[in-house]
Amino acid sequence: MTEGKEEKGKYTTVSIPTPLAEKIKKRIEGTGFNSISSYVTYVLRELLASMEEEEEEAFSKEDEEKIKERLRALGYLD
Amino acid sequence: MKALVIGWDCATPELVFNKFLDELPNFRKLLKNATYGRMESCDPPITIPAWMVMATSINPGKLGIYGFRHRKNNSYTDIWISNSLKFKNVPKVWDILGKYGKKSCIIGLPPTYPPLPLNGCMISCFITPDATKDYTYPVELKKEIEKEIGEYIFDVPFRTDEKDELVKNLWEMTQRRHELVKYLIQNKEWDLFWFVEIGLDRVQHAFWRYFDEQHHLHEPNSPYKNVIRDYYKLLDKNLGELLDLIDDDTAIFIVSDHGAKRMKGAFCINEWLIRNKWLVLKEEPREIVSIGKADVDWSKTKAWGWGGYYARIFFNVKGREENGIIPKEEYEKMRKKLAEEIRKAKDDKGNVMNTKVFTPEELYPECNGDPPDLMVYFDDLYWRSAGTIGHGRVHLEKNDTGPDDAVHAKHGIFVKYPADEKRIEASIYDFAPTLLHTLGIEIPKHMEGKVIK
Ligand SMILES: [Zn+2]
Repeated sequence: MTEGKEEKGKYTTVSIPTPLAEKIKKRIEGTGFNSISSYVTYVLRELLASMEEEEEEAFSKEDEEKIKERLRALGYLD
Repeated sequence: MKALVIGWDCATPELVFNKFLDELPNFRKLLKNATYGRMESCDPPITIPAWMVMATSINPGKLGIYGFRHRKNNSYTDIWISNSLKFKNVPKVWDILGKYGKKSCIIGLPPTYPPLPLNGCMISCFITPDATKDYTYPVELKKEIEKEIGEYIFDVPFRTDEKDELVKNLWEMTQRRHELVKYLIQNKEWDLFWFVEIGLDRVQHAFWRYFDEQHHLHEPNSPYKNVIRDYYKLLDKNLGELLDLIDDDTAIFIVSDHGAKRMKGAFCINEWLIRNKWLVLKEEPREIVSIGKADVDWSKTKAWGWGGYYARIFFNVKGREENGIIPKEEYEKMRKKLAEEIRKAKDDKGNVMNTKVFTPEELYPECNGDPPDLMVYFDDLYWRSAGTIGHGRVHLEKNDTGPDDAVHAKHGIFVKYPADEKRIEASIYDFAPTLLHTLGIEIPKHMEGKVIK
């Protein structure tokens, strides 16, 4: 994916197999994605976000503060 | 065979096997037919991760757990608190037993909040925010508990000068848990029954100076001089009552996650790092603040530290921390340099301490999660680490965050009954394999300890 101008420092190059790139190129024809890069970026962002969602949180914000206060009082923090 | 595991958090070998032994009749009687001795804890010898190491025979690096809290995404300030979800897929002994259809009843083992499903029942530990939460598995068990003993007490705030109140609260918490343990032993099906009493850790932290003549703040003839001994006697009386409830086909283990020893003082790690040019502030704080609230000049700071019974040190690395300055190529060199300097750190009297400094990589074969860059035991843990800034000095004779007299010692206890009477030296990694062996279960290959015979 070396297409498009790379703004120095903000982007990096990632290699994918050519047949996959061809496949993506076909898929994005006529869509809002103007490059393979923009499509791949979108897909990866979606994927990562969904994976993060699966990581359940043990505590609500409020509970976490409560626990931090308690642990601080117990000497485990600071 | 079944097993009852009694966890006395912080039970100290010198006290139970020697100093107080004559006053613990039930425990003494048990030792006559037991294999017992000191049990070496993990690194770090801290409640979390130690109990989880005991329950899994897996090292903290592989578990990815280095204490009660961890950095989130290499942040300077964001942390996450240890909890059971981090071990969801790690096989604890009760998970392994469950696969063989055996039932477990687990109470107060840190960290088991939120409680995860198992073949049996579970009551979570002192990491539970409060008793309004779902702290049991199955959920309905909570109602049953409240009917039997009233509100369940997870912990007591021990860093207080209201010592009489503290004694009352400690006894109440312990007796409520004891009543619940007795009830569950008799009313639930179990092959493994394992509970942890955290009160012993709290009582030793709060009252150590009154009985240890070597403690720098020792007060002779204080009305509190026997509180620790009396608490051990309470545990012994409760032990006797539990022994009356179980049959001959039940093995009994009594274990602790680490021991306790007198605290010599608190070593202000960040004050020391400032004096040694590793940490730079934009402005001196006018009051005592945590590192997260201090005005740190990150563009000039190479390292900062956390408090606790051991110190964690983090480096400000380019490309890793938001305003990192240490180039990756210099990281190892810097670690070595700082480790050397910390090893030479002095106590309040100007003597070089017996300080131990480790990199996580030398302690563990793999380092998952959010490990620190250095782990430090000031004077072999006799000095706790204080992370706060603004004291104007490095050494504090008292703890920075409320009264605390004791620190953690590397050795806890191991007792297995019935067995040939024998003194042994155990490792915390040996516990899970020994327990499974006792219950006639094959020991999984990933376990790092051996069976204590
Ligand atoms: Zn502990």
